[in-house]
Amino acid sequence: MLLFRSEDHVQAWLQGRDPGATIPIAKLAELAEAWWGDRLAPDWQPHTREQNQAILDRLGLTGLFWRLG
Amino acid sequence: MDHSDLEARNVTYRRFVELGRSPTADEVGAAIGADTKWVRASWRRLHDAHALVLDGNGDIRMANPFSAVPTAYRVDAAGRPWFANCAWDAFGIAVVLGRDAVIHTECPDCAEPIDLSVRDRKPVDTSLVFHVLVPAAEWWADIGYT
Repeated sequence: MLLFRSEDHVQAWLQGRDPGATIPIAKLAELAEAWWGDRLAPDWQPHTREQNQAILDRLGLTGLFWRLG
Repeated sequence: MDHSDLEARNVTYRRFVELGRSPTADEVGAAIGADTKWVRASWRRLHDAHALVLDGNGDIRMANPFSAVPTAYRVDAAGRPWFANCAWDAFGIAVVLGRDAVIHTECPDCAEPIDLSVRDRKPVDTSLVFHVLVPAAEWWADIGYT
């Protein structure tokens, strides 16, 4: 889960390996807010798989690659 | 996850933020009135539930998004340096602390330094991209690699 200067740098770094998924940094910021926002809440409860999948789906991170195990 | 394990988890996170480092089992035990052996057993249950990650000695390795050890993602926020487990977690630290931050890392391709300001939970430089190599279904198979 790495930060790159651009998509071109991702491709160069892969050196022919199969790519995973690349998303804009602004989308990552949205994802982080949804995923981590409650970590220090006094009434924190563990996210269920379904809750986490809903976060990904809501942000348009869909398809087999983003399907949680 | 029962109530006592939730309390141990919440205190572990709270003390991590207060101390700026991972708390010891003694420190968590003192905060909740439990002995060290019980805290370590609780941490193991939380590890198994993916609520935190222990190292080989049974100490805290990750209280996600925080890393207990230095990583390639340093986050300056709230007047302290923190370490994140990955780029996603680096943003997560700004979210959890509720503070603006600067993420320091380098491009894995060219090694050019990246110093990314995060204001109001948003990146100032939006030209960067985030790459996930491992499919979501395999993230916890080796969370250190992920």
